[in-house]
Order: sequence, then structure tokens, then C-alpha cells
Amino acid sequence: MAVAAAAAALAAGPSPQRRAGLGPWFAVTPMLGWLALFVIVPTLMLLVISFCERDALGRIVYSFTFENYTRAFDWKWLKILGISVWYAFLTTAICLVLGYPVAYFIGRSSDRVRGLLIMLVMIPFWTSFLIRTYAWISILSQDGLLNALLMTLKITSAPIGFMYTPFAVILGLVYNFLPFMILPIYTSVEKLDGSLIEAAYDLGARPARVFSKVVLPLTQPGIAAGILLVFVPAIAMFAITNLMGGGANPTIGEVIQNQFTRARNQPFGAALGVLLLAIFIFSLWLSSKFRRSEQE
Amino acid sequence: MTKHKTKLIVAACAGAMLLAGCEKKDETLKLFSWSEYVPQAVIDKFTEETGIKVSVENYSSNEEMLAKLLAGGGAYDLIQPSEYTVQAMIKEDLLQELDQAKIPNLKNLAPEFRNMPFDPNNKFSVPWLAGFVGVVYNAEVVPGPIVSYKDVFTDEHAGRIVILDDARETVSWGLATAGIPINNVTDENLATITPLLKDWLGKVKVFDSDSPKTAMSNGDTDIGIVWSGEGALLFAENPKFQWVMPVEGVHMFVDNLAIPKTSQNKDKAEAFINFILRPEISKMISDEFPYYNPNLEARALLSPEQLNNPASYPPGFDVTSAQLFTDLGEQASKVDELITTLKAQ
Repeated sequence: MAVAAAAAALAAGPSPQRRAGLGPWFAVTPMLGWLALFVIVPTLMLLVISFCERDALGRIVYSFTFENYTRAFDWKWLKILGISVWYAFLTTAICLVLGYPVAYFIGRSSDRVRGLLIMLVMIPFWTSFLIRTYAWISILSQDGLLNALLMTLKITSAPIGFMYTPFAVILGLVYNFLPFMILPIYTSVEKLDGSLIEAAYDLGARPARVFSKVVLPLTQPGIAAGILLVFVPAIAMFAITNLMGGGANPTIGEVIQNQFTRARNQPFGAALGVLLLAIFIFSLWLSSKFRRSEQE
Repeated sequence: MTKHKTKLIVAACAGAMLLAGCEKKDETLKLFSWSEYVPQAVIDKFTEETGIKVSVENYSSNEEMLAKLLAGGGAYDLIQPSEYTVQAMIKEDLLQELDQAKIPNLKNLAPEFRNMPFDPNNKFSVPWLAGFVGVVYNAEVVPGPIVSYKDVFTDEHAGRIVILDDARETVSWGLATAGIPINNVTDENLATITPLLKDWLGKVKVFDSDSPKTAMSNGDTDIGIVWSGEGALLFAENPKFQWVMPVEGVHMFVDNLAIPKTSQNKDKAEAFINFILRPEISKMISDEFPYYNPNLEARALLSPEQLNNPASYPPGFDVTSAQLFTDLGEQASKVDELITTLKAQ
């Protein structure tokens, strides 16, 4: 959620500096309370638990230990974390390449078309992502719709094993996260001043140059927000990767989930969670630094 | 002004409803059960007969149930722990002793389920359903014969295998194959079976505990090690899905109803236990979830098709010869680490 707030701030761009009176402070109190209760307190709990021990039934024993962290820095867990980051990176890159043209097209359409297109992007959210993931399973499975189509059209003679592969995992992630890339970029494109583009053309710039020197820098806040909104949740995602990947090559999200359930080791799961949080904070810091250098 | 008034009235109503909700809270029986294990029809019938409302929450592993119960989140009245969890919970004094006078239908249980080693004489728990872990294969693609765990993990089947996404189970198959008792989960024994498991897990396509039958019936896998209820559903769907009880020894799980110490509704919970032990109610459970029903009177009501399903009621198999899991304690974390690492190879 903190990520969403940061992304929203990025997308909104720099705001005019005005000193606020007492009134606005009252207005944000519910929001601050919400943040404290559902973001800060749980994060602190996670931090505390990550330094604790546990008993045979998995209950947390409040005695201080570093063991969870020394165990977390083992190569086998870092490898799993690396694969998760790689999946998230691929997902983000594909979402950006697919999402940018779509967002641009929507943002530059007429008002009526734009509303319709944005609604089309949002419609999948009306159904739970789990149900949509199960739909993909029935499309991609060996006796599924896609293979039936390919074989009826004589494109392939034997069914192709799409399901339970890295391909299926990336497909599931891209499908699920694409709207999170399109929407913030669309917001930036919508605010784009058309006269600046015209001016660039008038001054003799070619389309490629107009894009790289005018459009891209002006939509950059949307891109940064989109990357954050896709990359961060994609690292921690466990349901889609498990369903589409068949559970082989577990992601860090699956490992953490297991610590809190089957492995009876909440402190270790919390330690892995804190590490993941550190990566998120690092990527937030990186994107804000990136933005600051852009402004200078 | 009117707007404000309306808001006030709405707020007052909401407050009143909240209070009313609090007062009525005790009327509800809070059932904390495995997902996909308690038919809605059974719950509706119970409410209809007794007027007791039932609220249901689900979990997907014993450990998840324990974690939530011990965290003190919901005051659950009835839980559905498996045998090794019952054992651990009795040891930790987390269960209430049952008043057997209030559960006369206990007599319907088969004698071998009345006195199980994890809870002698059903002092704390009553079996719900039992099941086995065995091999299922698509006889149209796999020629067979398949008799053991290691017959599953051959090079011919590589990439066409589904197994339960359950570290404890996987380790027990390795132990059984190496001739080690399945509850001897020591560090040395884990080291002994690691090369074997590494070879096995490298050949697995899908790890799924929730619905391993999906990968089989969709054609993505040809052979697997799954719960007997899943095997029974596959066999009922198409007899090409053959069921095998592995020769190395069969592991049986027994899921039970039990009342946690924190429950304030012991009477209602016992009424529910007695209700589901009625033959016609227990049959409703078997109709939907074709595991091994420990209720002898209910089994008498089942159809020949149900009783002849080799995964539900393996022909000629003596359930007392099956092995039960005992609680692993802290070793659970080691088992999970081993399997997770081998999956990520």
C-alpha cells in the first residue's frame, strides 16, 4: 500500500509548495491513522518477529536471535530470491513494452473513445485474479482450448505443453499486472500538452526525436509509477506463480507463505519478508533518485 | 440539516446492529475446517434441525489452522485437525475432553477408528474421514504395472508427473523406499534420502496439494502421487485412471473433529459432532468427498459404485496395517527446507 501511495505521488508529479493550515491536517488524520494501523504497526511486528525464535508447534518465542537472518543469507534462499526478481523484471519489461503504446493510444483518443477504452482495461478487475488465473489454466492445459484450436487448424500435430512452464508463469504475471502499467502511463499521456509536440515538429524534429525528447520525458512520471506498481508486487506474488508454474521452482513469495503455514517457522518467514521489504525500499529510493536527477 | 439527521440515524442504526450482532454472537457455532471438506448441505441441515447457526472458516494445512488458533484470532468452536496435529494438541493441552454421553452416535464408527493411537478411546477427537496416499496413473498412456513409489519416478515418466505439494508426504515416500520408518525424520535419515529425492523431484512437472486431479484430467500429467479422494474422483470420472497402493507401505491420514480449549460453545460443538455421525448425514459427506468413511453405518448406505471405487475403499486392504504420521515438532522446518531447496534445483 505504501508502494501505491508512493507511485501515486510519482504519477502526480511535483506539487506547488504552499504552507498548509490546520484544516488539511484534520483531513488527513483518518489516512494517517489508517497508515499507522495497517502499514506501520504490521511492519514493526514483522521486524520484531524476525528476531524471535519459535517452539515445536510454531508459536513465537520472544527471545532475541540473529539466526533467522544468518539462515536467510544462505545461497539456496538467495537463489530463489534471484529467480523471483528475474521473473518480476521480465514481467515489468514486457508490461512496459506492451502497455506504453496502449496507454499512449488511449490517452490521445477522443474523450468518448477514451472512457470506453479505460473501461475495457478495468473490466478484468471485476473478477478475482484467481478465477482469471484458473481460466488461463483451462486455456493452456494439454487438453485445453488453445491446443484444441492449434490441432484443429493443423498448426501442430501433437499438443504443446504450455502449462507449468516459466512461459506460463510470465504470461500469468503479465496478464495480471498489465493494467497497473497502462493506467499510470495513461494519466501522464492524458496530461501531455499537444502544443509541445506540434512545436517540436514545427522546429523540424522527426517522430523518433519528438518521442525521445518530448513525449518520453513528459510521460516519465507515469512510467516510473507503472514500473513500481508492477515490479514490486510481482516479486512477492505467490498464487499465480504457484498455479501457473506447478510449484516447481518456487518463488520467494511461495517460500515466505510456506514459512507462515506448513513449515511452522514464522520468524524465518518474517526475516525473508524484511529482506524483501529492504529490496522494495531500495527500488523506491532508486526511482526517487532517478526522478530527482531528471529534474535537475 | 436533514442530511445531517439522516446520517445520524444511519449511524445510530449501524451502532444498534453492531450491538445486536455482539449479543447474538454466542448463538453461532464457529467451524474452522479444511477447504473443500464440509458440504454446505450438511451445515444447512444442521441449522434447520437445531436452529444453531454455523459460521465456517477454512484452512489448507494443519499448520495454518494451528497458527491461526494459537494467535487467538477467532474463538473457534470446532476444528478439523489430522491425526498428528491431534496428538500435538493433546500434548500441549489445547483440546477439550469430549462428553461422550452427548455423542451417542459414536457407536456408528468402525471399531478400528474408536481407539486410534493418537487419541485412545476418542477422548478428544472424532474421526471425520480418513484417506490414503497412493499412486494414480492414466492406463491409456502408462503401460504399467506400477506397484511402488519408485515406479512413478522413472525416466519414461519424467516431466509427466504430479505429486502433492507437501514436504512431509514427499519425505515419507523417500523414507519408505529406503526402508526407513516414515516417522523417523532425523537429520541423518534426511541426508540418506536426499540424493533419491533430488532425482525424483527433478522429474516432477506439477506440485499440487489442493487439486492434483486437475493436472491429470487436463492431460498435463500421466502419473502421480495424490490423496485417495482425488484418485477416487478421477476413477469415477474415467476408469482409465488406475489407483495403486504402494508396496512400500501405505500412509493413512485421519481427519477429526475436535473442540479447542478456547471454545465457549462445547454443547453445540458436541451436538454437531453427534449430528455428522448419523449415517444419513455421514453419507452426504461421502457423496461429495469420496474418502474412506470410518462410519460403518454410513458405509452401509453407500452405492455399490461408491464402495467399489478402488481409491475410496481399496479392495482387500486392512486399514489397521496403514501407517499414521506422528508429530514432527521443529523438524517440520527442516523437512520444508529440504524439499523447497530440491524443488529450486
